[in-house]
Amino acid sequence: MGKVNTVLGPIPTEDLGITAMHEHIGFGLPGCDLDTQWWKKPEEAFEVTLQKLRRFREHGGKTFVDCTGIGNGRDIEYFQVLSRRTGVNIVAVTGFVAADSALPYFRKQSVEYLTDLFVREVTVGIDGTDAKAGAIKVGVSRGGKLNELDKRIYRAAARASLITGAPIITHLCVDAQTSIDIFNEEGLPLNRVLFGHADDGGYLDENRDKLIAELGGWVGFDTIGYDSEVEGAPYWSRPRQDRVEHFLRFIEKGYLDRAVISADANCCALGWPGLKGHSVNYLFEEFLPDLMKAGVGEEVFEQLLVHTPAKILTMQEPVKPKSLSLKQLQV
Amino acid sequence: MQDNVQEKGSSVVRTVLGPVPAQDLGVVLIHETLLSVFPGAEYAPEINMDKSEIFELLKRQLTEFRRLGGKTIVDASGMFHGRDVELYRTLSRTTGVHIIASTGLGPEPMLSGYFTTPQKNPPSPWSAEQFSGLFTKEVIEGIVIPRVERSSSAGLVTSIATRSGITKVETGLFRGSAQTALATGVPVSIQYGADATGDLEILLGEGVAENRIIIGGLDRIDAVRRKEAFAVAKRGAYVAIDHVGWSSSEGFVNDGERAKLVAELFADGLGERVLISSNAIGVAKGHETKELGYDYLLTKFVPMIQDAGVTREQIRLLLEENPARVLTIDASADQKVTGWNFDWDKLYQPVIY
Repeated sequence: MGKVNTVLGPIPTEDLGITAMHEHIGFGLPGCDLDTQWWKKPEEAFEVTLQKLRRFREHGGKTFVDCTGIGNGRDIEYFQVLSRRTGVNIVAVTGFVAADSALPYFRKQSVEYLTDLFVREVTVGIDGTDAKAGAIKVGVSRGGKLNELDKRIYRAAARASLITGAPIITHLCVDAQTSIDIFNEEGLPLNRVLFGHADDGGYLDENRDKLIAELGGWVGFDTIGYDSEVEGAPYWSRPRQDRVEHFLRFIEKGYLDRAVISADANCCALGWPGLKGHSVNYLFEEFLPDLMKAGVGEEVFEQLLVHTPAKILTMQEPVKPKSLSLKQLQV
Repeated sequence: MQDNVQEKGSSVVRTVLGPVPAQDLGVVLIHETLLSVFPGAEYAPEINMDKSEIFELLKRQLTEFRRLGGKTIVDASGMFHGRDVELYRTLSRTTGVHIIASTGLGPEPMLSGYFTTPQKNPPSPWSAEQFSGLFTKEVIEGIVIPRVERSSSAGLVTSIATRSGITKVETGLFRGSAQTALATGVPVSIQYGADATGDLEILLGEGVAENRIIIGGLDRIDAVRRKEAFAVAKRGAYVAIDHVGWSSSEGFVNDGERAKLVAELFADGLGERVLISSNAIGVAKGHETKELGYDYLLTKFVPMIQDAGVTREQIRLLLEENPARVLTIDASADQKVTGWNFDWDKLYQPVIY
C-alpha cells in the first residue's frame, strides 16, 4: 500500500495523479512580514491563488507540492482551505529552504534536534495541526556552497527521511558532491532525494546532472518559466530555449526516468515581487508545447508528471538510521 | 474618525495607547522587555505560546511594579524579538502602567534572511537607509502587526551591537536607527558593542543630536574600567546603567559598584544624563533568562544608591525627569502620525492599585 501525506490527511499513491513537485502557494524570506511593501489584501491573495489552482485542476493537475519551509510563509490552515475549495491535493514539507532562510532559533540547534523536529512534522503534525509533512526540504545557502548549518540540516533531513520514509527535496543542487557525501554517510539511498533546480541559470552543470542520475537520484528541472526574456525576470532566470534544450539533452542521454519537471512558481508571492504571470500552469501552457514541438510524445509527459512524482512521494518503510539516538526511537 | 493627528510642538511621549503628556510618566524603567521570543521559537513545537498565560505573568509583574510606585515601562527589544503590541495595549489598560514600545533590529545574529540575504544578486545585506525606512514608518505610521495592520506608534528606536565589536551590518543598523531618530524626533537607544564612545560617534555621524541618544550597557565591566559612562555623558548623550541586578558572571559590575558609579556621575555633575534600568524580561520564550523582576530596581537598588549618597531629588532625576526628557518627542522634528485614531482608548479606565 502506497501512502502520501497531504495537508488534508494521507492519500493513496494512486490518487496523486498529475503532480507538480516543486511549487509555492507563497514564499517570502523570514522577516518580510514586517515590511508593508509586500502586504496584500487577503481577499485578493486568496482570489489569485484560487484562480491559479483551479486552472491547474482544469489542466488535469491533481497534486501540488508546496516546498515552502518553516518560517518562509508555510501556512497549513490556509493550505487546507485551498485544498478543500479546489480539489487539488496539497503536500506540505518540513525543513528549511536553506540555512540562510532558517530563523535564529533553529540556527543554533543540533542535528539531533533538527531530526526530531522533521520527524515530528512528518509523523505528528505541523504547527499544532494534525496535518503531516509529505517531504523534507533542504537547500544550499547563497554563495553556492553548503555552509555548516546547511550541512547540519541535510544530515538531519537524511536521518528523518530514513526514520519516516518521506523523501527529500532540495533547493539547488550546486555543490552536489558535498550533499551526496552526507546522504551516503547517513545511509540514505539517493532515490529518496530530488536534487532540485538543476536548471537554475546560475548553477548549470550537466556533468553534475549526469552524476546524480547515474547514482539513482532525481534531477529537478523545476524552475521552469523563469525565462530571462520576461520583464522583471529574477537572477536565476535563463533563456527559455536554453532550458528546453538542456532538458532534451538530459532525456536523450537516457535519463527520462530520473527527470522531474516543475515551475517553482508562487501562487501569490509573499516577500518579493514574484514573476508576473508565472504560475504552475506554465508547465502545461508553455513547456509541454515546447517539448511537443521538439517531438516529445505524450507518454513522456505521463512519466514526468504522474509516475515519477508517485515514486518519489510514496512513503517508504521506515529504516533505522545508522546514527539513531534513544530519543528519536521514542518519537 | 480623524485621519491625521497633528501633534507638532506638543510635549508628549508615544505609548502603545497613544500620546501621553511627558509629565504624566512618573517613575520610568527605560530599558526592559515584556515578551521576549527568540526569533523563530514561535514555530517550534516545544514552545508553548499560550497567550493567556503570557498575559497573566506580565500582568502580575506590571501590577507589582505599579504597586511599588512605578508608572511607565519601556519595552526596548525592537520589532523582531516577540514584541506583541496588541497584548501590550491590553496590559497597559489593565494595569494602568504606561508602556512604550520600540522599533529597531539587532544584533546581527538575530536578523532574518529578509535583511541579510535578500533575493537579489549579490545578496547584499540591507543598507542604513533601508533600515531607517522600515523603522521610521513604525514611528510615523505605526507599529506593524505582521500582514494585518499598523497599530500605535513606536516611542523609540533601539539596536544592539555584537559585544566583540560592532559588525558592518550593525553599523548600518545603528546609522539607520539614528536616521529614524533624526527624522521622527524619537530617541535612539543602543547597546554598545566593544567601544561605547566609538559607537556613539557612529550615531552622531548621522546628525542626530547628542541629547536624543541613549547608550546602554555602560555598567559592563569593560565599560566601567574605561570610564565610558563619563565620556558618553560629557559628550552630551544619555548614559544607561541598565543592568541593575546583574553581576560579574554576566560581564557586569555588581550592584555595589553600580551604585558607586551612579554616585560618582552625580559628583562629576553629570547626573542629568544618567538613566537606570534592569534589562529584565517579563516572559521569555525560546531562550534562558535571568531571574529578575521589574520590582528589583525599586526595592533593592534604590536603597543601595541612597546608601551611596544619592539624594531623593537625584533619584527623582534618575527615574522620572531624565527619562521623561529623553522620551519626549523632539518638538522641532517634523513628525506626524497618520491613519490611527487613539480617541476610543479613552473609553477604557485603567485599573488603579
